[in-house]
Amino acid sequence: MSAHTDTVTLPATAAKASAPRVPLMVPLRLTWLLARPSANGLSAAALPVTAFALVTALLLTVVAGGLSFFQWKDDTGELYLALAAIATALLVVPLMTLGGSAARLSARRRDERLATLRLLGAPASTVAVMTVAESALLAAVGALAGVIGHLLLVPLVQLIPFRGEALGRSVWMGPGPIVLVATGVVILAALSAMLGLRKIVISPLGVRTRQQPPKLHWLRAVGAVAVIGAVVAAMSNLDGIRDFAVVVVVLVTGFAGALAVLNLVGPWLIGVLARRQLRAAQTPERLLAARQILDSPKRAWRQVSGVAMTCFIAVFGGTGAALMNASGPMEGSERFLGDDVRTGLLITIVASFLMVACSVGVNQSSLLLDRRDLYVSLDRLGMPVGTMNAARTRAVMFPLIVVSVGSALTAVVVVLPLAGMALIFAPLSVAVIIGCLAGGVALVLLGLRATQPILAHILRTPGAAL
Amino acid sequence: MTTNPSGTPLPPRPATTGTAVFSARGLTKNYDATRALADLSLDIRAGESVAVMGPSGGGKTTLLHCLAGIITPDAGQVLLQRDGGTTDVARLSDRDRSALRRSTFGFVFQQGLLIPELTALENVAVALMLLGVDRASAEHSAAQWLAALGLAGMEDRRVGQLSGGQAQRVAIARAQVTGASVIFADEPTGALDSGTSAEVMDILLHSTTGTGKTLVVVTHDDDVARRCARTVRLRDGRIVSDSLRAEVAA
Repeated sequence: MSAHTDTVTLPATAAKASAPRVPLMVPLRLTWLLARPSANGLSAAALPVTAFALVTALLLTVVAGGLSFFQWKDDTGELYLALAAIATALLVVPLMTLGGSAARLSARRRDERLATLRLLGAPASTVAVMTVAESALLAAVGALAGVIGHLLLVPLVQLIPFRGEALGRSVWMGPGPIVLVATGVVILAALSAMLGLRKIVISPLGVRTRQQPPKLHWLRAVGAVAVIGAVVAAMSNLDGIRDFAVVVVVLVTGFAGALAVLNLVGPWLIGVLARRQLRAAQTPERLLAARQILDSPKRAWRQVSGVAMTCFIAVFGGTGAALMNASGPMEGSERFLGDDVRTGLLITIVASFLMVACSVGVNQSSLLLDRRDLYVSLDRLGMPVGTMNAARTRAVMFPLIVVSVGSALTAVVVVLPLAGMALIFAPLSVAVIIGCLAGGVALVLLGLRATQPILAHILRTPGAAL
Repeated sequence: MTTNPSGTPLPPRPATTGTAVFSARGLTKNYDATRALADLSLDIRAGESVAVMGPSGGGKTTLLHCLAGIITPDAGQVLLQRDGGTTDVARLSDRDRSALRRSTFGFVFQQGLLIPELTALENVAVALMLLGVDRASAEHSAAQWLAALGLAGMEDRRVGQLSGGQAQRVAIARAQVTGASVIFADEPTGALDSGTSAEVMDILLHSTTGTGKTLVVVTHDDDVARRCARTVRLRDGRIVSDSLRAEVAA
């Protein structure tokens, strides 16, 4: 029995065990204890679960939509399958961004608690089991909600017309693929948690050092211009190529090259424009937004890069579809091709922006919770909530608009003569695609607005943060 | 002109008036079943440095938040003398209290809580920009304050590139660049070692009460309290002692 200097008697210290082994049930019980919904009102588990639910629902719907194209077995059916494969591939990037956001959100909540346990002396194996168990548990609950979300979406997707009739029952994948996809989401979440585990085990204090953000080199822009020049030159000389296989290779290479250029030049361009915004900023919200983007132009690009590819394809494919319709009616199974390409494009654009909107919502929610103390302190300094929201909005919407407009213009340059013809011969098709892009931007804005109640809640209930 | 400990002149401030800047009357604040403030009354004079001490849960931070208009009391008044008139802070709307905090009060928190993406200069300037001051003028004033607090040459550093003491100096500059007449500090040295803590208190006192402003500090640290002219001790939401110090090593 030990005693304090003020003669207060302290409880006896538990007997020391030599090199204790932690039974498997201990971390699992701890996980359950820590994963229970807290009394904090805004449960930290709700956001990652919602994020995983969105990922699962959208992934299932994209897969189901893609698989439904297997119903057509004729020659045109193969073309439809190829186009569906391209559309699905385009949605992979925004879907991965959304999945990454969900994993990071889950990790943030996990890191705080597990780092504390690690500091208290929990062995690495306990932390590892808890990490995987908690992430998998959150992902499983989210995936289950996502499956329900998908089942609600299916009737709407079934109404989409292709080849003159609604997709109908072909959209229903059956329980097998649904379980497979949902299980895949849970496994990926657990793997992602294991990969992120090392830093907790090594450095539980999680010291953060913010240095000057690295500047991206202007050579990126020079390289981009060179590639675009080469692509434009190749596209302009397609008429001279007689071998169809070579034409396809040139088209695919040109397309891939242009996309690579977008990825190369995107972060650099966002950085350059944000620096201009920074220099011109006269209000706190503009200053904050520019600095937030400059903190990591690559991160800003990653968030919206899915849209870049979609916008590029929208112009590329939209031009083709418009010209197909303008060239007169086709016959047989090809007679719906123009309209169907346009429908596919519009769905891809909407799905892509929807994923970016969800990703923005999840990321912003995570950021707000991470910077809770900072926002409370800014409120106490007298910064209006409107200024905080305006800064967050600008920090997301500025890169998004730069990316959307920039990649669409890049595509216009690549297919310049054809785009001009499309505008003259099928202005309505072009207008529909432009309207859809504008609607997508509005969708992301909506995703951002959805996070405003979280900030309001943080400021209303600052708790013992400060 | 007043100088800081390193001899650099501080921007000019109005002279001390010696009248009560705050008169808290019958403040009561409950958090569910917990009484944080119990019919507390207190006068704080202009140019005074007041340390508010007491055990955790004694009502220190709640008192500071009521005085600063961050929260409103369940009962009582917080009378603030300004612009030749009296304002009851507790009766102002949320928007007006927010505007009051921007224009009249300054805050220094335990962790500094600067905006990590901004430079030291921008962190200070943004307080003025919130009042509608154009950026060039705001950054000019911010640079003056940073220089006065010994941070000349560090204007472009980001928060992660500053030590704890330097970050607190930036926070002190941000709290005062607007010309705030009352500075509230909540455990301003709580995250610092004793040497840096003494330096930060030197700067805080010289730049506030040393120039006629009022300083209200919530602290657990006896050394910090000893540097203030007056110490108010709270327990269970009531004042249990209120002592003036004859000589203060400011």
